[in-house]
Amino acid sequence: MISFHAAGVSVPDPGGDGPDSVLLEPTTVDLAGHRIAVIGANGSGKSTFLRLVNGLARPTTGRVTVDGKDTVRDVSAVRRRVGFLFSDPLSQLVMPLVREDVELSLKATVKNRARRREAALLHLEAMGLSHLAERSVHELSGGERQLVALTSVLATGQGIVVADEPTTLLDLRNNILLQDTLFGLDQQVVYATHDLDFAARADRVLVIDAGRIVHDGDPRQAVDRYRRLALDPGRGRR
Amino acid sequence: MRGHALLIGLRIPGGSPVHRAPLWLKYLVLIACGAALVLWRTPITAAVLLAMGVVLYAAAGRRVLAAWAAPLRFLWWVLALLGIYQWWMNGPWAAFTIVGGMVAALQLARLLLLTTEQSVIVEGLSWACSPLRGLGVNPDVVALAVGLMLRSIPAMLGCIADVADAARARGLQRNPVALAGPVVVSAVAFAHQTGDALAARGILDHGDGLESGTADGETA
Repeated sequence: MISFHAAGVSVPDPGGDGPDSVLLEPTTVDLAGHRIAVIGANGSGKSTFLRLVNGLARPTTGRVTVDGKDTVRDVSAVRRRVGFLFSDPLSQLVMPLVREDVELSLKATVKNRARRREAALLHLEAMGLSHLAERSVHELSGGERQLVALTSVLATGQGIVVADEPTTLLDLRNNILLQDTLFGLDQQVVYATHDLDFAARADRVLVIDAGRIVHDGDPRQAVDRYRRLALDPGRGRR
Repeated sequence: MRGHALLIGLRIPGGSPVHRAPLWLKYLVLIACGAALVLWRTPITAAVLLAMGVVLYAAAGRRVLAAWAAPLRFLWWVLALLGIYQWWMNGPWAAFTIVGGMVAALQLARLLLLTTEQSVIVEGLSWACSPLRGLGVNPDVVALAVGLMLRSIPAMLGCIADVADAARARGLQRNPVALAGPVVVSAVAFAHQTGDALAARGILDHGDGLESGTADGETA
């Protein structure tokens, strides 16, 4: 269970003497639920919110815990529980071959090289990607790359997957394929997206606006709320 | 980031004896050849090792042999300058010894990269560094760093191509000094993303977050 305990993030004003700029107001929320979507404008604090969950960002006030483990003090324990999928799969694929990249995720848990190779192939098979095992990550299509990145994330065996706009770079077909794959997982999935249809598939949707959760609950109402916020002519963009 | 620029120096898969040779043997041959070139600076050494390189490329298969000349397309002017200078200073045989020896060493080193999976190289390096553990060196970190370096060279070339294209699209000259700024910025961004991805996957498990509070990642 992911819990925010009055967790907030602010950074010093880049100019020097202005007030700190707040990326996320102190927030208290429990993220229970199998599929949770986070929507909000660019710069609203969505990414910061997600990055807090696995310790990629640290709260400057309050704390965030996953199954009771603090994301600052116990960051390795947290990362063993939470996998993170980025929008650009190329930045997270480290090894040149698909199979090698999955093997890299398994390095900590499977010491024997032959056994690790076998396990990597099994993970790829489970995702229906066996045919890509010996391909270079650079020659894959964007959709295939994102699925491989997801396989590498899942191979580490975490129970929670956090995805920051995972479908942004994908065409419609791959977008739907990735959505279906994410929704087919046993793991809890928390994702940010600008795709409102994708967001509406979640059990629970958070709307973040100017560093604050302004709606938490029913997907339809959340999407309506976000539309009203986004299209309100009285509001200047940050 | 562009795909094609990333293909430089990539492994060519295959089942030839060169591909299947164990990593230690490849390194042994490479080190022996390098030592020979340094110890016996004669045109004959250079010629023999150049020929040996071509034979080994051929033994590794048609596609590997076809890749033999690839780096010369980028490097010919450096080699030409060096060759002309040496010819002028020390005569044709010295020029051949130096330029031929350099090409021979470069090609043998490339052959290792072309015919070996990166995970095997990384694992081998990690093994080779394990005696340094007593000195506080983590062999896995060294091996991963080398792996990341190999991956970063083509990524940086892709970066430079992107920035140059962007400049040209705006009708700006390809002034190398003007390109340097954006290239450095995107190199740092690439390093940050890679670091975040490694941290998020718990590889190495340093138990350390990278930085606090980055804004939404849509700035680039």
